[in-house]
Amino acid sequence: MIQSYLAQGSTYAGDIDFLFDMIFWIVGVWFLISSGVFFWLVFKFRVSGNEGTAQYITGEEKSQKRWITIPHLLVLVCDVFIIWGAVRVWYDIKQHLPEPDREVRVITQQWAWTFVHPGQDGNFDTADDIHTVNELRLEKDAVYHYHLTSNDVMHDFSVPVFRLKQDAIPGRVITGWFTPTLLGEFDIQCAEICGIGHGLMPARLVVESAADHAAWMTEQSPVKFAAVAPQVGEN
Amino acid sequence: MAELIPTQPDPGHEDDHHHGEQSFVSKYLLSTDHKVIAMQYMFTGMAMALIGGFMAYAFRMQLAFPGMDVPFFGIVTPANYVALVTNHGAIMIFWVAMPVLIAAFGNYLIPLMVGCDDMVFPKINRLSYQVFLVSAIVLLSSFFVEGGGFGGAWTTYPPLSAKAEYNLTPLGSSLFIGAVGIEFIAFLLGGINFITTAMNSRAPGMKLYDIPMVIWMIVIASILFMVSVGPLLAGAIMLIFDQQLHTAFYDPNRGGDPVLWQHLFWFFGHPEVYVVLLPAVGITAEIITVFSRKKLFAYRTVLNTAIGTGVLSFCVWAHHQFISGIDPRMANVFTLTTLLISIPIAEMMFVYIATLYGGAIRLTTPMLWALAFIFEFLIGGVTGIFLGASGADIYMHDTYFVLAHFHYTFFPIAIIGTYAGVTYWFPKMFGKMMSDRLGKLHFWGTIIPFNFIFIPLFFLGAGGQHRRIYDFQNFPALAGEGMQDLRILATVSLVVMLGFQVVFFYNFIISLMRGEKAGKNPWKANTLEWTAESPPPHGNWKVLPTVYRGPYEYSVPGREKDYWPQDEPN
Amino acid sequence: MTRQFSIIRVSRGVLLACVAWVALFAASQASANDMARGKQLYALCAQCHTENGMGAQLYLAPAIAGLDEWYVNAQLLNFRSGIRGTNWQDVGGLRMHPMSRWLKSDEDVSAVAAYVSAMPKVDPPAVVEGGDPVTGKALYATCASCHGPEGQGMKTMNAPPLVHMSDWYLVSSLEKFKAGIRGWNPQNTNAVMMRGMSNLLPNEQAIKDVVAYITTLNVQEQP
Repeated sequence: MIQSYLAQGSTYAGDIDFLFDMIFWIVGVWFLISSGVFFWLVFKFRVSGNEGTAQYITGEEKSQKRWITIPHLLVLVCDVFIIWGAVRVWYDIKQHLPEPDREVRVITQQWAWTFVHPGQDGNFDTADDIHTVNELRLEKDAVYHYHLTSNDVMHDFSVPVFRLKQDAIPGRVITGWFTPTLLGEFDIQCAEICGIGHGLMPARLVVESAADHAAWMTEQSPVKFAAVAPQVGEN
Repeated sequence: MAELIPTQPDPGHEDDHHHGEQSFVSKYLLSTDHKVIAMQYMFTGMAMALIGGFMAYAFRMQLAFPGMDVPFFGIVTPANYVALVTNHGAIMIFWVAMPVLIAAFGNYLIPLMVGCDDMVFPKINRLSYQVFLVSAIVLLSSFFVEGGGFGGAWTTYPPLSAKAEYNLTPLGSSLFIGAVGIEFIAFLLGGINFITTAMNSRAPGMKLYDIPMVIWMIVIASILFMVSVGPLLAGAIMLIFDQQLHTAFYDPNRGGDPVLWQHLFWFFGHPEVYVVLLPAVGITAEIITVFSRKKLFAYRTVLNTAIGTGVLSFCVWAHHQFISGIDPRMANVFTLTTLLISIPIAEMMFVYIATLYGGAIRLTTPMLWALAFIFEFLIGGVTGIFLGASGADIYMHDTYFVLAHFHYTFFPIAIIGTYAGVTYWFPKMFGKMMSDRLGKLHFWGTIIPFNFIFIPLFFLGAGGQHRRIYDFQNFPALAGEGMQDLRILATVSLVVMLGFQVVFFYNFIISLMRGEKAGKNPWKANTLEWTAESPPPHGNWKVLPTVYRGPYEYSVPGREKDYWPQDEPN
Repeated sequence: MTRQFSIIRVSRGVLLACVAWVALFAASQASANDMARGKQLYALCAQCHTENGMGAQLYLAPAIAGLDEWYVNAQLLNFRSGIRGTNWQDVGGLRMHPMSRWLKSDEDVSAVAAYVSAMPKVDPPAVVEGGDPVTGKALYATCASCHGPEGQGMKTMNAPPLVHMSDWYLVSSLEKFKAGIRGWNPQNTNAVMMRGMSNLLPNEQAIKDVVAYITTLNVQEQP
């Protein structure tokens, strides 16, 4: 259902969409049945004015109570299915961390995103780190680890096409993963209120082919930002 | 307020009671009468609801027509926007739902429904309202300090709320959290009264299972509130210390932990949902039994599910924090408990639906509201499952889906529940009947636009749009054209809905002035409040009633009348 | 005949006067509208730069009241397009960049610039310590060639005024220029030039000294 609004851009997007659909059908059926019964009862037993007599049902006897205990047990069964589905997806996305091909640092602050690629040498905090502001460039089909931090308040790294969301907490580095599977340009949103600029800190996500990405890396690698120029010199 | 509460002086009453002739001030402003305090809470709550509704109007206009010069408000800056959404949420929950559902109905109904003359501690009760009024004033004053109202969501997460350099309002944030803290003190004072009165002042013969469901619900809600509020109150004090004394409880750079606040907040915040839900559920129970002339299906089951919900509600708080960086393994536990809570709540809904079976349903205005509560809350309940499932929440968290979901729970609770209660007890409160025609007009004028506000938002949420975003034009890939149309639809519906509230106020006033006189028991209900005069005098009854049976003995076979008041010997 | 003629003349005169008045009114209204719009939009700026444009160091917001209109306009456009304030180390700039994007049209930018430039100038409190204005005066000689001997700025040189400016902001700006946190983007030619000039100040102390001197200009101008 979600995919009709938003393309699936990561390996696990489909899992989340499947889970959503599963829950949708389960609770949808429940909702239709219970609201159907509800409206049917209201329609059937409505009277006009003060006429009509009602039945005296205590609901305390077993034969009456089973009208609620049986649906009730069925709800429990459905819950088990949903919990199973939720935990499975959760484990895959948040608990388990596959070996990465690439890494990227995501630094959040009021009200901007800085994305740091480790550059050619593959190590962070070296001279050839590539810093981009409000634009994240990724290679398609590579397993990425992201290391999410915040410089000031809570933010949230949300990439709707990936179906990914993770709060950034100042003072912590939170590591997670994703694998982009779709070429194109998408939106990155902040999903945790972070002050008056919360609605004004969009970032762009560009997923490109391995060749394009490598070309971009080389082009950026010297010095796009003069700020790191002295460090390049040391190298 | 004086005009709104026509009292019928009872010459014999003053003699056998401890209350003398009272001036206007002591009668209406400094009264210790539970009914007057209830009205004070209710009218304050309604005034706050108007303010909260106006805020919703202002920011929804901005969402639908970005950059617009909103009539009666002006241009909505991003700073205004976050302050508006923050205070809209806080006002609607803390200054509307709580005072009206717990304090107003609790105050009004508990002594009348358990059959005593007043609250056990009338002066504490008066103090409770006064403290509450102070909290409301403190909150509203936060808009007029330098930097303006606090704009960091009603959840007040630090470090944003803790440091002026981040939230840009050095005093506003402290006034906000201070107002919340003061308000909690008010409800702690009120809660003491509710629980004690319901447990200790019951009319002779009223056993625990003879207590009307709404009283049970308010008592359970008060217990939930009083148990859960401690951690948050402590957290709020630490937060004020962080803001004003620059301590470091939540400052990660100096050994604090911002996530601590989230735990303290949601440990209170989730039970809080049930604190306001339960009274609304109780009101619904009273109304659907009276207007379907049916005994409540499985009274004890309802009570047990309420208690079960209450206990479980303490074990689910971290489902608000699935993606907030807590240990990911914890999410599994909280998914389990969260989905378990669907069991008592579903059972409660089944019980209410089952109560309708075999009834003689009279679709009066209060009954329509009560039925609407069941149906709308059902939508709120089922959509919660998506969010309780941790895996799906990764995507749904903080989107409009969440927003629509909790408005489908809070709107039925705070607005539908309140209207149900007010239209049902209006004859008792003011001795006049409300116009049923205007009542129904108001009902449909509220319910239909309500669904048109929030159903579109489910779609926006499924499309990945986040809440609290000031302007979606910054997100080209997400803000499709259809999305903007949905937002406009929601906004227009909101304006229509707000417009229809005028009908309610008109009906309220016109019924007070020209309404048909209500007898003691216009709805032919069983519970004790309907045996008192309408409106009940100070002290409620000349002779306190004695109770012989449970509250829901409607249509008992072999009786001439289809109701059997609790105080009738046979 | 004469009477009729005179009536025509009078009525024509009245008509002309009306037209002139309407035109004048419209013109004044247009600028008044502009000001009103600027004031309306300034509500957001006031959140950090404060109501009177004094600025607030806590929010990294410098004083802006009475800055030259052309300069405010240019800087807002720079922020909006991202050629200023999008360096990853520029904390204040990264806060200003999104805020400037609130101004959707160039008309709104000019309206705010007009409003800001019309605000009465302020003297923000001096907070930077340890600068020696005497040494600073010598260093300022270079600056004076563009920013003027009184620090009043020169539009022809694209140099903004330096007086009535928050001293901490002058220090942090010079530091940013020196470190290349400002003036890194080749499209922002003025900033690139300033970045080069900032390197003439050899160290932290020199920056403080020159700012200390600029602060004295501030005081001198007052009487």
